[in-house]
Amino acid sequence: MKNAALLLLSTPQKSEGFIHWLENHLLACPFKKLTSLDCPGCGLQRSVIALLKGDIAASLKLYPPTLAILVLMIFALLHLKFDFKNGALMIKAMYIFATAIIIINYIYKVYNQQLF
Amino acid sequence: MSEELEGQASQTPQPSQPAQQPFNQGNSFPPQGGGFGYGGMQQSLPNATAVLVLGILSIVTCCCFYGILSLVLGIIAIVLSKKDIALYLANVGAYTESSYKNLKAGRVCAIIGLVLAGIMIISCIIFVSIFGFEMLSDQEAMKEWIMQMQNQ
Repeated sequence: MKNAALLLLSTPQKSEGFIHWLENHLLACPFKKLTSLDCPGCGLQRSVIALLKGDIAASLKLYPPTLAILVLMIFALLHLKFDFKNGALMIKAMYIFATAIIIINYIYKVYNQQLF
Repeated sequence: MSEELEGQASQTPQPSQPAQQPFNQGNSFPPQGGGFGYGGMQQSLPNATAVLVLGILSIVTCCCFYGILSLVLGIIAIVLSKKDIALYLANVGAYTESSYKNLKAGRVCAIIGLVLAGIMIISCIIFVSIFGFEMLSDQEAMKEWIMQMQNQ
């Protein structure tokens, strides 16, 4: 992901085109269509696009768990490749961390009327 | 290409070389006998990687399609891990411990993802049963209802 981001940033014209295409092809959330409320996963795609643009602050603002999930996935891939000593335990801890952020984020949203 | 080569190498008797069985060939070489006499011939559990990947994916997809996707992934991961845990416990010496740890981690991830998906699906059902589809698709009505709840 990082390499892809660097590649995109190094070729500004193409990257704009690609990100623009992504922005216009976001998958719609069926829960939001049904209830017009955000689901616990809403914001993930916007947040990833913000990250691709290099805007970490906006990414965290849109959906805080994105970075945690990305780090978890990259670490898991590295662990499968290189077999770290306490890798399984680390993955468990990071997974619980990411889950906690998702749940806290959603509860915060519910209490602060940001569901629309 | 490399998998085929590895498969051939493990067929020829080479006790000094630890034969890492490829993922899809794990079942075609069933371990024989007890846990002794294996030396360096430990192999990784056939589904450890798959369970770990499925478990992690089940959290990313925990909100896709009302949580159904995550539910499916989590159930697949738990079924696979159950099989592999039985396999490992039946023949402890034959499989590497790191792959067993991976399997356990994947199982924990899958269970957490499953719980999240379950909450998601149950909340969807509750929403629909309380409000019905018509009010849910009407954003203004929902906003009004939430404001009323706030004022109480």
